[in-house]
Amino acid sequence: MRLICINTQLSNWTNEKSSTMAPVFALRNLTKVYGEGATAVRALSEVDLEIDDKELMILLGPSGSGKSTLLNILGGLDRATSGEVLFRGELLTAMDDAALTQFRRRHVGFIFQFYNLIPSLTARENVEIVGEIADDPLPAAEALSLVGLGERLDHFPAQLSGGEQQRVAVARAIAKRPAILLCDEPTGALDVKTGVRVLEALQQINERYGSTTLIVTHNADVARMGQRVIHFSDGRIRGVETNAHPAPPSELVW
Amino acid sequence: MRLHAAGVALVLGCGLSVFVMAVGMRESLERTRASYYALNRMANLGVSLVRAPNRLEQDLADIPGVEAVETRVAALALLELPQIQEPASARLVSLPLLGRPRVNDLVLARGRWPDPAHADEVLVNQAFADALHLPLGGSLQATLYGRRQQLRIVGVANSPEFVFVAAPGELFPQPDRFGVIWMGRRALAQAFDLNGAFNEAVFRLGRGANAAAVSRSIDLKLRPYGSSGAYGRDRMISDRYLSEELRQLATMATFLPAFFLVVAAFLVNIALGRVIATERSNIGLLKAFGYTDAAVAWHYAKSALIFAMIGALLGIVGGIGFGRGVAGIYLRYYHFPALEFSASLPTYLWAFVAAIGAAGLGAIVSVMRAARLAPATALTPPRPTAFFETGRSIAALSKRLDAKSRIILRRIIRFPRRAATTALGIAFAIALLVVSRTFPAVMDHLLHVHFDVANRQAVTLSFMQPREMGALHDIQRLPGVIYAEPFRIDELIFRHGGRMVHEAVFGVPANARLNRVIGQREQTLTLPPSGMVLAQALAVKLHAAPGDSISVEQTTGRRIEANVRVSGIIEPMVGSSAYMDLDALSRLLGEPRRMTGAHVQLDQTQYAAFNRAIKATPAIAGASFVRLAQASMRRNFEEGVGMMNFIYAAFAAVMAGGVAFSAARITLAEQERDLATLRVLGFTRLEASYVLVGELLVLALLAAPFGCLLGAGLAMWLMKLFETDMYAFPFVFEPQGYAFAVTFTLACVLTAALIVRTGIDRLDMVGVLKARD
Repeated sequence: MRLICINTQLSNWTNEKSSTMAPVFALRNLTKVYGEGATAVRALSEVDLEIDDKELMILLGPSGSGKSTLLNILGGLDRATSGEVLFRGELLTAMDDAALTQFRRRHVGFIFQFYNLIPSLTARENVEIVGEIADDPLPAAEALSLVGLGERLDHFPAQLSGGEQQRVAVARAIAKRPAILLCDEPTGALDVKTGVRVLEALQQINERYGSTTLIVTHNADVARMGQRVIHFSDGRIRGVETNAHPAPPSELVW
Repeated sequence: MRLHAAGVALVLGCGLSVFVMAVGMRESLERTRASYYALNRMANLGVSLVRAPNRLEQDLADIPGVEAVETRVAALALLELPQIQEPASARLVSLPLLGRPRVNDLVLARGRWPDPAHADEVLVNQAFADALHLPLGGSLQATLYGRRQQLRIVGVANSPEFVFVAAPGELFPQPDRFGVIWMGRRALAQAFDLNGAFNEAVFRLGRGANAAAVSRSIDLKLRPYGSSGAYGRDRMISDRYLSEELRQLATMATFLPAFFLVVAAFLVNIALGRVIATERSNIGLLKAFGYTDAAVAWHYAKSALIFAMIGALLGIVGGIGFGRGVAGIYLRYYHFPALEFSASLPTYLWAFVAAIGAAGLGAIVSVMRAARLAPATALTPPRPTAFFETGRSIAALSKRLDAKSRIILRRIIRFPRRAATTALGIAFAIALLVVSRTFPAVMDHLLHVHFDVANRQAVTLSFMQPREMGALHDIQRLPGVIYAEPFRIDELIFRHGGRMVHEAVFGVPANARLNRVIGQREQTLTLPPSGMVLAQALAVKLHAAPGDSISVEQTTGRRIEANVRVSGIIEPMVGSSAYMDLDALSRLLGEPRRMTGAHVQLDQTQYAAFNRAIKATPAIAGASFVRLAQASMRRNFEEGVGMMNFIYAAFAAVMAGGVAFSAARITLAEQERDLATLRVLGFTRLEASYVLVGELLVLALLAAPFGCLLGAGLAMWLMKLFETDMYAFPFVFEPQGYAFAVTFTLACVLTAALIVRTGIDRLDMVGVLKARD
């Protein structure tokens, strides 16, 4: 694995990129502190980052390094303590709860480690549900066949394996054709083989639909599929790695 | 958990407060009655007769088993009071020549006892004095046996014989129209031509006396003097009303509390089930550390016990407050010298036992599950809930729904027991309100039928004695009388197949226009030219069916005995008498064409003149004004029912709110993850709330028809329980009442759901979603 960038080079690189095309997200001095006083924990410290349109970015770091916090703030699930996040020029950090809900509704697809499917809905229905709030959703059957689950449309989550459930979650996330796909440890609960299938699905979607995809992982092997890899520790970006030739997921082993 | 505990305790508290109130009130009434009766030597037996010489008193006292006898003169009189337009009437009862009454002694509330040397001095009963603000030293104009006499009030008293006071033939007290007047024996005997004689005797029996044997001896001795037969307390109006009241309190003590205990048990079951589910891993840990199954079970049983204790305490405190309020109301109708609410220790203990029983019953399943949980199983997370498509029709239905509604539908089907529990609790609340709304509807119906259909006269006049039909002309000539209709009432002893019942028979003229016998569906019944129609209650007591021949005996006058055929059975709402064509009855009793009174239709512009005239007519012993009777009946119903309705509504709100609140909180806890997922996907708070609130509303809507049916069934059953000889309550369906019950309950459910819904606003989306199932 080659580390191309170090922290000090980051701003040069992002500045150079931003001059050619507008980033989806621009982060300035983003800080998140949980708790107060002596018990305060700095989950993010003055993070500056720009995320390009259609990019597949990996946020890599050990647990507690702040990568998930960053993902949650970008997805409008959490609020920053200070600093700014601009989404396509709009100040995300200034939005109220209703505006954040609309932001998630229109632009964001989430994938979590524990799938978070609604157990009382079938695979198809779990995907269809986003159709109720999206403007131009993918048909559920199409989204599910994209992740290789065209055959198991009418199964309930409890009737699916972990990998299948995660692929339903992926299908659900992409069904609204989101501008941004946020994946928090999407393979964390899966074995290698199943994990690879899920990552393949994510990569395909990124290529096919151009969704800006952020994958949070603590797995350095997974990071090889990213076009850029952001290294996190202690709430700071410790390095940015650009991958000229991202590895196809089928080549990943962990 | 604290909120669940509060809900359970409140529901238990409501039910047990009714229990403590009803049982405590019953105990208080019984205790007060017993001590009042004992202290003032309330009669065990009484007898009315035409006239017996005073020397017979010793003979009566000598009957084995008789502890004391008091002979007296009693009569009815019309009073003229400046405060009211209509004549009032009073029951006059003589006081002994010397000393206090040996039986049915009085309690002087104020003033003094009459001086035997002053014939005009009287005592009046307290309710009458209070209602009309009669001052001590004031005077009353009375018509005694046709003679006007001025009476002077020197004291106000209460008597165990007149705890409940209603004019003869009236169902409810009208304290400003009917009173009791006690006066000197000599003066009263003189006024009624009973010098050296008596026309009533009351007896106090010794311990262990055989009342039936004493009655027979009394009858044997007094029969030649026109006795209508000795009777026990069951036929003394005041005691009969009291006993009815006690019976109704017993009904109330069981019905309502049972309802609440069942719901409380459900709530405990739901709450504890949830707590144990969330503390599953703790249970595993405790057991892994060596805690025994019993220790774990006790840990959870304890919380149910605490719910029960708080509930019982709430119930006791509420019941005492409630009981004190009710005691105040009772004192308005039942004239005890004092009535203090106090329940016995066993009653309070029973409240605890009931609370613990209900909570224990609710807890047992969950507690046993906790006890049985193997530590290894408990430490692994529970498997995710598996949903399956059930049934084609449901699949077809869910296809037509949006995803959020589908979630609601599938959860209800997946957890049918819990859905049923919630629905049942809501149905109970609806039923409770339906019952509470049915009472006034039934009362309205009863008043309507009794006064608008059956009794359409303005006034009912009764004579001192039966009179020739010619007397009707005298009535018709009174000012303001538009139409007069004769009637007769005879007290009879009915006998059939070894059974014997004292009851009245009403002689009703053919084609009666004013006072009519009502049969099925409010239809006026034309009485057959021969044969007797019996009220259902009387027929049941006699075991008589249409076509049977029964024997009747007059209790007064010539004591004619005759056999008569039962020509039909009716179910009147008021009374349990017999009815017969007036002419046929007169013929049967060997007194052709006689009447005991008349129903009168009045020209209201002549109301005052009519009243003046009847006050001056000696033959008239009583006048009952239908409008006043109706008003008093309505007031009585409304006072009693009004308060009960308020309490029912409050309790129903607690029940519906408690059930909905508890169900909503558990739904929120269980669905937290799904709701957070919906929020993350971009559903608004409102949209996510729909899943939570919708589930409860669907259950409430499903519960509504069942609650209405349950309420109707309970109302019917309660009406039967509250039925007495005096009333038979019809079942009345009033749609507004049901609509109110459903709307009110839905509003309670919605309020509870909306309060719990705020939890969605506080949902920690990230925290919930990152946690493992």
